[in-house]
Amino acid sequence: MNDGGPGAQHVVSRLMRESLMDKAVIAGTEAGVRSILPNLNVIQIGGLSIMDRGQSAVLPLLDEIVANQQEHTQVVGVGPGVRARHILSVGLDLGLPTGALATLAAKSSAQNAYIVSCLLANHGFVYLEAPFIVQLLPAMLAAARGAVFNGIPPYDLWEHPPSLGKLPPHGSDAGSYLIGEVFGARSVILLKDVDGLYTADPKTDKGAKFIPDISVSELLHMQLATLPIEPVVLDLLTRSKLVKSVRVVNGLVPGNLSRALAGDTVGTLIHV
Amino acid sequence: MDEVTGNTMLTELGQRLVNGSLSDPAIQRATEATPNFAILPWVNVVKIGGQSIMDRGRSAVGPVVDEIVANLKRHKMILGTGAGTRARHVYSLAIDLGLPVGVLTVLGTAVAWQNAQMLQYLLAKHGIAFLEPEGFPSLPHYLMERGAVICQGMPPYKLWEGNPEIGRIPPQRTDTGCFLIAEVFGARKMIYVKDEDGLYTADPKKDPKATHIPRISVQELLARDFNDLVVERAVLDLMLKARNISEIQFVNGLKPGQLSAALDGEPVGTIVFNAAMKGAA
Repeated sequence: MNDGGPGAQHVVSRLMRESLMDKAVIAGTEAGVRSILPNLNVIQIGGLSIMDRGQSAVLPLLDEIVANQQEHTQVVGVGPGVRARHILSVGLDLGLPTGALATLAAKSSAQNAYIVSCLLANHGFVYLEAPFIVQLLPAMLAAARGAVFNGIPPYDLWEHPPSLGKLPPHGSDAGSYLIGEVFGARSVILLKDVDGLYTADPKTDKGAKFIPDISVSELLHMQLATLPIEPVVLDLLTRSKLVKSVRVVNGLVPGNLSRALAGDTVGTLIHV
Repeated sequence: MDEVTGNTMLTELGQRLVNGSLSDPAIQRATEATPNFAILPWVNVVKIGGQSIMDRGRSAVGPVVDEIVANLKRHKMILGTGAGTRARHVYSLAIDLGLPVGVLTVLGTAVAWQNAQMLQYLLAKHGIAFLEPEGFPSLPHYLMERGAVICQGMPPYKLWEGNPEIGRIPPQRTDTGCFLIAEVFGARKMIYVKDEDGLYTADPKKDPKATHIPRISVQELLARDFNDLVVERAVLDLMLKARNISEIQFVNGLKPGQLSAALDGEPVGTIVFNAAMKGAA
């Protein structure tokens, strides 16, 4: 219903005069997608789970990233942690909307990403803000030895209101996954402080069983009370073109990241 | 990092946020009880269509610009632009080359940016600025001083745009970007200026029996599951989740006076409203 009709000055293309809201037109655009950086590994360092613990958790992990630098191309997304929880609390108390909360929380993960980039600077890692990810990531990976980015996607004021409550739905897990998907990365590894997924909370339920491998549909069917990753990542996975899985790994256990990078079974693989 | 946990300056909700999981529905539900502050309750977000207005050139854009100028002293406006035919060309090319949706979004954003820049040249002599997302903190100042600002309509998702369920076109484009600006600022109105009188039961350009729909709920619109729509489907989905914007209006920019009437609160064109508005502001 938006074809411009007579009078519009068109550029000839397959989509010329078509409504991009028309279901048949949309379906007609289905086609293969090229992987832009097929050797890329996206590593997400959790905020609350890793960064907020300080050096005892962060430094061994960064050593492991460096140890894998020769073998694997890594870009490192970083989550926000407790400072984001604090500003969410203050912002909610002031009545601020979701988009404003997202803009504020993204600064906390930018701080953590900057910290990680400083600690890895000596090894050639650079910190790239969103505009530089768009323009410079391939060049930086060719010239530098890796990159660090803000895990929270740059949705800012344009963050979606969630179905329930006001908390921004797209956090650093979503942002890291989306970077993996758009570049057609080799792997997306989410480093947390748990071994992966369990059938129940292992801290409170002795009968909880570990899940090494699960599909998104099975996981949604289980209706777990809480997940160690943002639920929106499951939605994103169901619409994936290139990156069909994410691996949730305990970043506090030395060797886990290396195993995940090597493609070994570690943590929980969530796949389409 | 337990020092924050023990901080009595935090609200009860704050204590739960610091200690709990943000994906816990109980915590999410608790955030519903917080107040809703409207940041710019007097602003109107007006989206100027790409293919429907901008691509037509002077014959369509000239009268719309005149009408915007006539309203500068009466209504505060954030003017977002659509993309249009050049976006369709670059999407076709990029799909053909196998590029992902995030890259298409970067490319489409450049087209909406071009239209915003053209619109700003036409309004420059009235002191109207063009702000990119990074400049949005200055937006209230320009609105107070000059009555309007221009922005490109695409949300700043760029490479971070998610895939659509079907096909390869970025699902969240300029209709969505403008809606989210209206929602986050708690705007007075969200008005889409296109080249039709609003919504019809079928495409009036192709079907002479199509009848005009002056008012419809988003719930009914979704239930009727039309093959084609006047607005991006993502906007309808977001309307169900929005807590500030309860209705959006579609007017015909080719008919002088419709935009002004909509700004004045008259029911011209088509109004799509949320029949089940949550957590009323």
